[in-house]
Amino acid sequence: MDELRKKARALLEAGEVRVVIGYGGGTGDRARAIFVREPERADELIFDGRCRQNLAIYLTRREVKELGKPAIVATLPALKTVLQLAGEFQIAEGGLVVLAPGADGSLIEFKTFADIEKYLAGAASPIDPAEQAEMDRVRAMSPDERWKYWLGQISRCIKCYACRQACPMCYCPRCTVECNQPQWIPVPSHELGNLEWNVMRAMHLAGRCVDCGDCSRACPVGIPLYLLNRVLIGDIESNFHQRAGMKAEVDYALSTFHPDDRENFIR
Amino acid sequence: MPEFEPRIVAFVCNWCTYAGADLTGTSRIKYSPNVEVIRFPCTGRIDFMLLLKAFAEGADGIIISGCHPNDCHYTSGNFHARRRWILFRGLLDFMGIDVERVQFSWVSAAEGAKWADVVNTTVEAVRKLGPYENFRKIDRAGAV
Amino acid sequence: MSRIGVFICHCGENIGATVDCEKVAAAAAKIPGVVHSVDYKYMCSDPGQNMIKEAIREKNLTGVVVGACSPRMHEPTFRRACEEAGLNPFLCEMANIREHCSWVHEKGDPTTEKAIDLVRVIVEKVRRNKPLVPIKVPVTKTALVLGGGIAGIQAALDIANAGHKVIMVERSPSIGGHMSQLSETFPTLDCSQCILTPRMVEVARHANITLHTYSEIESIEGFIGNFKVKIRKKARSIDMKACTGCGLCSQKCPTRKIPSEFDAGLGTRPAIYVPFPQAVPNKPVIDRLNCTYYLKGKCRLCEKVCPTQAIRFDQEDEIVEADIGAVVLATGFEIKHGDFFPEYGFGKFKDVIDGMQFERLASASGPTLGEIRRPSDGKKPETVVFIACAGSRDPAKGIEYCSKICCMYTAKHAMLYRHKVHGGNAYIFYMDIRAGGKMYEEFVRRAIEEDGVKYVRGRVSRVYEREGKLIVQGADTLLGAQPVEIEADMVVLATAAVANDGAEELAQKMHVSYDAHKFFAEAHPKLKPVETNTAGIFLAGACQAPKDIPESVAQASGAASKVGALFSQDELTREPVIAVVNRSAPPLYSTCVGCFLCQAACPYQAIEREEIRTRDGKLIKTVAKVNPGLCQGCGTCVAVCRTKAIDLQGFSNEQVFAEVMALLDRSEPDAGI
Repeated sequence: MDELRKKARALLEAGEVRVVIGYGGGTGDRARAIFVREPERADELIFDGRCRQNLAIYLTRREVKELGKPAIVATLPALKTVLQLAGEFQIAEGGLVVLAPGADGSLIEFKTFADIEKYLAGAASPIDPAEQAEMDRVRAMSPDERWKYWLGQISRCIKCYACRQACPMCYCPRCTVECNQPQWIPVPSHELGNLEWNVMRAMHLAGRCVDCGDCSRACPVGIPLYLLNRVLIGDIESNFHQRAGMKAEVDYALSTFHPDDRENFIR
Repeated sequence: MPEFEPRIVAFVCNWCTYAGADLTGTSRIKYSPNVEVIRFPCTGRIDFMLLLKAFAEGADGIIISGCHPNDCHYTSGNFHARRRWILFRGLLDFMGIDVERVQFSWVSAAEGAKWADVVNTTVEAVRKLGPYENFRKIDRAGAV
Repeated sequence: MSRIGVFICHCGENIGATVDCEKVAAAAAKIPGVVHSVDYKYMCSDPGQNMIKEAIREKNLTGVVVGACSPRMHEPTFRRACEEAGLNPFLCEMANIREHCSWVHEKGDPTTEKAIDLVRVIVEKVRRNKPLVPIKVPVTKTALVLGGGIAGIQAALDIANAGHKVIMVERSPSIGGHMSQLSETFPTLDCSQCILTPRMVEVARHANITLHTYSEIESIEGFIGNFKVKIRKKARSIDMKACTGCGLCSQKCPTRKIPSEFDAGLGTRPAIYVPFPQAVPNKPVIDRLNCTYYLKGKCRLCEKVCPTQAIRFDQEDEIVEADIGAVVLATGFEIKHGDFFPEYGFGKFKDVIDGMQFERLASASGPTLGEIRRPSDGKKPETVVFIACAGSRDPAKGIEYCSKICCMYTAKHAMLYRHKVHGGNAYIFYMDIRAGGKMYEEFVRRAIEEDGVKYVRGRVSRVYEREGKLIVQGADTLLGAQPVEIEADMVVLATAAVANDGAEELAQKMHVSYDAHKFFAEAHPKLKPVETNTAGIFLAGACQAPKDIPESVAQASGAASKVGALFSQDELTREPVIAVVNRSAPPLYSTCVGCFLCQAACPYQAIEREEIRTRDGKLIKTVAKVNPGLCQGCGTCVAVCRTKAIDLQGFSNEQVFAEVMALLDRSEPDAGI
């Protein structure tokens, strides 16, 4: 933590960055995102197990961009987000400083996207065992049970779009859900509209989702959205050998193809 | 009780399957009238949301058909479509949506007989599955 | 509010016998916005078309739906009729109630009901159609021909003779290509140089052709009709204007033992050289990698002897820029080098040669002046074994395809050998004899029957040396795979024809597709054999696939005629069915987020970046922009775009969405709307 604060202060003092996007103490025992713009506030930065939010989401926010060049405190998913955003031309090399604190108080400063790529190539992305168990449970169901399971889930959706708001890859200024010519997704929150919204959201993230899990954590009614994301992540990996957030260049499973892509359902 | 007549929407590309279906006509090969075609320039153009819309509006089955791999008029639209369908179909299946009701096929401009066969077998398969009640029953009345 | 006219065609009995056309017209009349709905025996007839035209004028129609045959059949007819009546042709669509309905279903209610559905769908589409204007693109009437072999020469001459400017770029010091290396040509056995050289000279002299030899493409950008190309003219170390081509420099050059590329390594050349006596241009080039002056800083003998002071040791590469409207790629092929076959001893045994080397041996201008003498000791070989399919049709070697030219040239080689070495034995090991082509089969038969060439059907497993002879071990599959062993004096390998070096980089530079073997890909394997998937770039000759001379020439003329058609107008008119990225009021400017994932998906490289700036030049946003000259209207980008920022004119999101909704909605139209 000391390393992080020291680095943040130095960056701000040297004028190398204008803002450090990091974690600070929130209400109760929670950590929240803070935006440190003065060197003397660097000591407000914390980093511990509570710091889970993917702060890369702020890199594309207009009000944050207007603050000037940022440094970002990045967890593993945030590092992937940085690369994915770079591959989608939303951020540029040299436009930000990436600081990845370790659990032991160490700090890695990534100078280039290539360094992040190298780091990620060797990093493991553990999956929460409880979430894996839920995935296995749903996969084992019959199609009819799965339909009932998801109908149960989406019937609770209130279309608040917190999932979208929390997602670092949902940076479009006008989401298709707001398009009314044609009205792709019905406005009211009924089962059909909720279903269509959730399918669309998952498909729009296919090949782009870095699996940070913020959408599921943001959902006020607790829909396990990570399941939809992970089914697609798994299919993309097994079919097309591609993983989002591993390269700082265009690497999108759905805008490329291989003539020998395999399937077993087209006659 | 009269036999169930499924309604099936076919999304086809202009250059292969639409032309193939034209050939079915020119060859006077008969097939079931339960399928109706919507023409697209290319399978690459077909938005996955349209499939959901078709089910939502009461389709019991869907056919998506275009040029065989390597034969796309636009060289690669069908390859892009194939990737999209691989993922979309997997997602639908995971959500318990009946992927047996969606028939993907490659029908070339020369395969008039194949088009008739694709239509007939899909109609029969969907007839066996019955009306797509899951989607018909889904609530769309609006939340309170 | 739309004012749509619906016209249902009986097509005589073709539709009328199975579909109740009156009922379809009556049902269509009830659709909100339909102000006119009729049925008629033959809509495509003159009276039928006049009905449409009159209705457009009298009822002031904003859209026309013709329920008749396939739009692939008569859409142009009805669109033209609409245009003649003053309605934008893109406001007219067809509902296919013949091929997709009356011809494939039995007479009855379901069939009529389906016809009504199909008409309703198209009515809803037409309601959302927008008037479109064909796209006009200016055309620069200069063609770039890349490659100066026979294909490039033919294409350049055809285009130039049609009255258009041509820039020809050839990477070697002379044009002529592989054809200039050949001895005689099949199936007529006329001398290759004799028929080629006049063409080469014509290229050099043609007022419409600018020739850049020893040059390569540095970069190309733009789109059909409007390319900008940069050509790198490599330093030849010669002042081309001052040089008279007298050849004194080559005679005096002290470095003389460089293997000659033109003689396929069988002859030698000096460091300052003209590749062959008939070269165009007939002026030398200094091979800097082998020139003593460049290597050691001393010599400059050529400079001393040059009567016109034309040597320029300090010459640098020059970049020439040009505006062009079309490109013909004619970069040719290469033959796989013999070292690909260690089992045949190429490189180890001097008398195992490849087909091109045999051409040089048989050529009157070659290192042996046309006598067949083996490379090792200059003796006339008494027995020669020719091995066809050396590499071709051999998946184990990674070349699955047939090189197409080898059957014929191997027959020719054997024949030439028999003509030149009387009493010599010629054996050909082959897999199949593929002699499809005018007079080709007859040619092969002549080799066998008149010239006594012995064909052995089977593959050669090994070539090795024994007591000064090359032992060719193979099998004769027509004799039950019986082992065959031939003592030969020389072995000629018909090695596979492969893509040229650098084909892949060039394809990437030109944005054309290429296949797994790096041959350039045509736009359609049957119907667009000279087009590439990049509009305005055409293919000629063996850069697309192995081809013989007649085929290369035919394709070159085909490509030239495509260029001529393109250049026949000052502006290019294209169907407006293209993708468009939306623009909107500030602060959004466009719903495009500039992720450019569409860019990778576009098969035509039609998506560009556009910077939206404030008046004082500050960058607000970078968004996608579709180049209307390149877009072919497939719509793949539309399905990739998450924000629906790209839409396809003629198949817009609104249109296709409405079609799906209308198709499934059989409820009676609400009179209230």
